[in-house]
Amino acid sequence: MGSDTDTSADTDTTPATEAAPELVADGGTATSSDAASGSDATDGGDSGRAGLKARAKWYALSYPLFWLVAVFFIPLCLLFVFSFWVNIPGGQYEFGFTFENYLRFVSVDFTSSWPFIEPGLYLSQMWLTIELALVTAIFSLLLGYPIAYYLARMDRPWLRSLLLITIISSLWVTYVIRAYAWQVILASGGVLSSIGVATGILSEPQSFYPGYWGLVVGMVYVFLPFMVLTLYSSIRNIDGELLEASKNLGAGSVKTFRRVTLPLSKNGITSGTALVFILALGSYVLPRLLGSSAERTLPVLIEQQIMSESNYPFAAAMSIGLILVVMVFLWALIRVTNVTAGSLGGSEEVATDGGSQQAGSTGTSPLAKVRGGFGNAASAIGLTAVAGQIGSAIDSVVTRVDANTRESVIWVTFRVYVAAAMAFIAVPLAIIIAVSFTPEQFLTFPPGGFSMQWYVEFFTSESWMVALVNSFAIAGAAALLSTTIGGGLAFALDRFDYKWSSIYGTFGVLPILVPPVIIGVAFLVFFLELGIAGSRTSIIVAHGIFYAPFPFILVSQGLDEIDRTYEEAAMNLGASSLRTLRTITYPLIRANVISGALFAFILSLNEYIIAWLLSLFLVNTIPIEIFNSLRYGYSPTIAAASVVFIALTVVVMTAIDRFSGGIWE
Amino acid sequence: MSGISLAGVKKRYPGGVLAVKGVDIDIESGEFVTLVGPSGCGKTTTLRTIAGFETPTDGSVHIDGNEVTDAPPYERDTGMVFQDFALFPHMTIHENIAYGMEADGDYTTEEIDARVEEMLELVELPGVGDRTPDQLSGGQQQRIALARALAPQPKALLLDEPLASLDKQLREQMQVELRRIQQEIGITTVFVTHNQEEALTMSDRLAVMNDGQFEQVGPPEEVYNDPNSRFVADFLGTANIFDGTVSSVENGYAMVDCDDVSIQAVVQNGVSAGDDTSVVIRPERFRFDDGTAGNADVASADGGTNAGGTTVFEGEITFKRHLGSSVEFHLETDSGREITVVRRSGMDKRGPGDRVAVSVAADDCRLVGA
Repeated sequence: MGSDTDTSADTDTTPATEAAPELVADGGTATSSDAASGSDATDGGDSGRAGLKARAKWYALSYPLFWLVAVFFIPLCLLFVFSFWVNIPGGQYEFGFTFENYLRFVSVDFTSSWPFIEPGLYLSQMWLTIELALVTAIFSLLLGYPIAYYLARMDRPWLRSLLLITIISSLWVTYVIRAYAWQVILASGGVLSSIGVATGILSEPQSFYPGYWGLVVGMVYVFLPFMVLTLYSSIRNIDGELLEASKNLGAGSVKTFRRVTLPLSKNGITSGTALVFILALGSYVLPRLLGSSAERTLPVLIEQQIMSESNYPFAAAMSIGLILVVMVFLWALIRVTNVTAGSLGGSEEVATDGGSQQAGSTGTSPLAKVRGGFGNAASAIGLTAVAGQIGSAIDSVVTRVDANTRESVIWVTFRVYVAAAMAFIAVPLAIIIAVSFTPEQFLTFPPGGFSMQWYVEFFTSESWMVALVNSFAIAGAAALLSTTIGGGLAFALDRFDYKWSSIYGTFGVLPILVPPVIIGVAFLVFFLELGIAGSRTSIIVAHGIFYAPFPFILVSQGLDEIDRTYEEAAMNLGASSLRTLRTITYPLIRANVISGALFAFILSLNEYIIAWLLSLFLVNTIPIEIFNSLRYGYSPTIAAASVVFIALTVVVMTAIDRFSGGIWE
Repeated sequence: MSGISLAGVKKRYPGGVLAVKGVDIDIESGEFVTLVGPSGCGKTTTLRTIAGFETPTDGSVHIDGNEVTDAPPYERDTGMVFQDFALFPHMTIHENIAYGMEADGDYTTEEIDARVEEMLELVELPGVGDRTPDQLSGGQQQRIALARALAPQPKALLLDEPLASLDKQLREQMQVELRRIQQEIGITTVFVTHNQEEALTMSDRLAVMNDGQFEQVGPPEEVYNDPNSRFVADFLGTANIFDGTVSSVENGYAMVDCDDVSIQAVVQNGVSAGDDTSVVIRPERFRFDDGTAGNADVASADGGTNAGGTTVFEGEITFKRHLGSSVEFHLETDSGREITVVRRSGMDKRGPGDRVAVSVAADDCRLVGA
């Protein structure tokens, strides 16, 4: 087009001004110079624009990939290499190639009696880890489904919002504080024991932890909200007319539930169960704080090898073992439910599943969206069948009663149950608040009076204050980092075509699928080499990458939902690509960007194990400080610290929400 | 000079689909041209090529004399109204209208404010500047979209089915309004629609598009009365089409043998005996041939200078419906052919089951390629 354009521009602009009298009346010269400069820019830009686009495509991708591949994925792979190295007792290790670490991991014990062979310590603890995760997932499902069902079907919006907010806000509290709450409840001299003694059920104070069932209760408590929110959005998504149609066709409540609601919420059941299973599998804090030495799960053993034994190669080998469990589980899930790896991992998935579920829900929005990223699956792993059988058993019992009585009995039972379950979610934190005002030196329940002394102690303690500042500084920086990584990747994948875009998309969600203790170990090894372990920076980088999937999924979804016509309209009105991005695209996805950042912020604020591994005892955050204090008893200062921390979290969330124009609505 | 010109424009999509197969048109400054055709005919792609959202695979685009074939949209100075209006939901009406001028950077704040007021006056919605798009009705949003497109004084106005989402009454009102505003400022306009009625009533010229190409370009009356293809005849309005073979050509009239009937038709392009052809007869060209009331108002389209003969069809009315100012009859001829006849409303007592004869003058029978 080159010279063509120049001549036509020169010869034709003058007539143009004559020919459009109305338009040019107040800007004739401007129009002609515009036209000329416009065509100049075009001329120079033509080849440049294509070239720029090709370059921009890789620039855009290089930033997130730098973090996700060079800083995250490669160290993770190095962990694999590292697991073959040779450990030198005393905290050293050297390059080499040995199966020793793996042999130790899978070693078996031979016995003289049948069955003559028993799994060794590590294999049996691995099985325990899996079993605990399964038990947690199943209990969460059985407990959570009725709550989710009730929430989705109730017709009082204010009460629903209240309950949802209660459930969501319990997610904002660090595992450490929540495990602490259960210690307070289960300990000898704690809530349960005191009530037992007072009512005469127990003859003397008794501790219900550490131990298997105390641990299970704590795990279910912590992971139940994930299950409820996942199920909620899935049940909420079922078209109400389908239920009316079922009733219109003569099916009762129970039958409608069994034949319509339950099958249609299969996806939610599968994703919720998978989510809780994976989270429970990688959980460190709860087994450590609520389990006895018999309940040392793989993450606990890994941490022990690093922090106590300094046996890095063996910790690496166990990490690989844990990753294998996650991979086998995901593989089985994919096989059984016919979802593709791509959709489990990601980006297209976000659009369909997360998008449609998002439509109906209000309070849960960011979580529902995030959850969408974890996968949409076709049939549940036998759990549906179990639930179905329970449903039909109930059905046969209640069909004998007349329909109206039946309905009301069901609903009353339901309400009582949901109230109890909500209490299960809400009460532990209330107990912490109560404990924080106790005047006594040691844990007692009920508190014998009111005192602010533990708050005074908290605010005057230098180490608590340092921890508080560290927590917020790290979380703020990590939120920024993960938003740029996740948001950048989402933007690049949305705007440009890449040959391997689904692989890049998988990198975007990969960090959250890896158990945090392994992320901690991989980063620790890597940062030790770089010499930055034991610094706030190292924790910021680790958190920034670990939580990047949240902004990635949310921003992907936001970009996916934008009507491209808005951007075309802006460009048509003369806005350059950059201006369009700034004035149209960003404002339209701002809520997604900010919720992504908030998610990363809150999660980083409350994260323990990665921060602990990378701290090398040099950096304190509030979760680390609380955890350390728990070694020396249940000082009520911990409760005061927890209350302050939770309150500050809420304040920050609310403030950001205000400034960003109310994204939670 | 011309407002917009397309020369040999082709567009092949990455998937290999050739959406536009080479279109040429010169649109005069101030002219209102409609691209009309069924969905998937390439009309929207053609419009998007003018706007710069698509880069043609081949050919060139000039706006106001400058080649813009590869220029990005923001350097083209066109104003587009989108099908769903695309008013920015996060901005007020004022901010929406001001957007283009702000992007230009050539206006002061006072100029922008004054121009926004002026545009709101133009579209007869003064005082809505502080509202947000979702507070306006569909018709109002439509007007604001127009105001926004015109505010930065573009060289051309591009309309992508902007009336499609409005209900019928509003649509007709907006047709008039759009045309009024367009004539008032005299802006070169390209309008895309699949609605043939809109195309016929609004444009200076229309271009009927099919399968990525222009079938016919011309003023609405010409395209309607003298379709040059079976497709155009069929697409615009209702057409009775008779396929047949030319048996003889005499004095500018051809005899067309259509199995059950021979029709005499006026010849406009060269045809000769033996050619396969189709005769197109518009339903309002028929007249009832039984000497009663229906006859009086009839004249040939060309003012009664009917040098040729007439063709008569006999049959039975199978269906009748009132269209307001006219009445539509469906006839089944004795040979089993279905004919649509439209007459002006009157005291016509004919109804389903009546036997009637209709005739049509040779000058009202047009030949198109088979």
